[in-house]
Amino acid sequence: MHELALSAYLLESVEEHAREAGALSVVTINLVVGERSCVEDEALRFCFELLSPGTLAEGAQLVLWRVPMRFWCNTCAAAYTPDSESFRCPRCGTVGGVVDDGTDVLIESLEIET
Amino acid sequence: MTVQRVKVVRSLFHANDRAAEAIRARCDAAGVVAVNLLAGPGAGKTSLITRTIAALAGTARVGVVEGDIAGSVDTERVLAAGAVDAVQVNTGGGCHLEAGMLARALEELDLGAFDLLMVENVGNLICPTHWDLGEHARVCLVSAAEGDDKPVKYPDVFARSDAIVLNKIDLIDLVDFDRARFYEAVRALNPDAPVFEGSCRTGAGLGGWVDWLRARLASRVAGGEVG
Ligand SMILES: Nc1nc2c(ncn2[C@@H]2O[C@H](COP(=O)(O)OP(=O)(O)O)[C@@H](O)[C@H]2O)c(=O)[nH]1
Ligand SMILES: [Mg+2]
Ligand SMILES: [Zn+2]
Repeated sequence: MHELALSAYLLESVEEHAREAGALSVVTINLVVGERSCVEDEALRFCFELLSPGTLAEGAQLVLWRVPMRFWCNTCAAAYTPDSESFRCPRCGTVGGVVDDGTDVLIESLEIET
Repeated sequence: MTVQRVKVVRSLFHANDRAAEAIRARCDAAGVVAVNLLAGPGAGKTSLITRTIAALAGTARVGVVEGDIAGSVDTERVLAAGAVDAVQVNTGGGCHLEAGMLARALEELDLGAFDLLMVENVGNLICPTHWDLGEHARVCLVSAAEGDDKPVKYPDVFARSDAIVLNKIDLIDLVDFDRARFYEAVRALNPDAPVFEGSCRTGAGLGGWVDWLRARLASRVAGGEVG
């Protein structure tokens, strides 16, 4: 939904880290994308390709790792991903608590040419 | 030429978070409590702001930033209700406010003239949640008419709010709103945030909300509260 804004922040961060590491160019950008971040793969790639020409990240490949929302069940002492109907634990049916709402988007690492 | 791996681990929201911190510092310096109001379109954001201005009249001066895709009707409404000043931010189609947009809007306002800054975010329960605006309190507003499943469908906004307002309580019996289902999900996401049930139409039940704001304003004047 807001991939253009995120792409601009992505490029800024990538260039900063790449320059610091003495990169000639960025080959791959590994992203960790929360399932609930509302980031659509295709839209992100499209916006990234729109903004990246002329930067160190021109032509870089975007690799997206999706991570789900996570809850914790105290009864089962185990993590779970709730379904879309309720937040109940799939094992015991009690309502756990949210641990990660799955909305962040992280740059995990870069592969750069030096 | 060699290919080398560089560990980064930085959120894409990092730059926004930094801009938000600068806004928080500005508000702290001016003694202003900033509230970021998040809700779907039509939930009653502007109505809650006008009710709040009226309830605080004579005790706290309220400034408003109105985020919207286009138009300025809400700015006119809050000024008519007695806001000290208000500024409109049109995102031109953007689905949320970012800290940079708010920082520019604040250039047009005199923070020294307010005690409370209310920011009406773009009507959307999803995107605004991810963008810190430098607020001291994030408030999620949902109306009974939208249904009891909102926390299950839009968990992030409930998980990340400091207070929750359930509006249009005057309609609750007309819309098959299941309180047990609503509160079960809200508590799983956010065990601590107060939930205020009220009606911006009749004014019923808004006392708890106003008291909560008053307490935040009072702790600010006493010089302690940050963040
Ligand atoms: N029945 C009822 N209607 C309300 C209540 N609060 C707001 N409204 C109405 O809901 C509509 C949208 O309200 P508004 O404050 O403009 O919502 P916003 O889009 O979130 O800013 C308006 O017609 C309001 O009069 C309420 O508590 N009960
Ligand atoms: Mg409005
Ligand atoms: Zn369990």
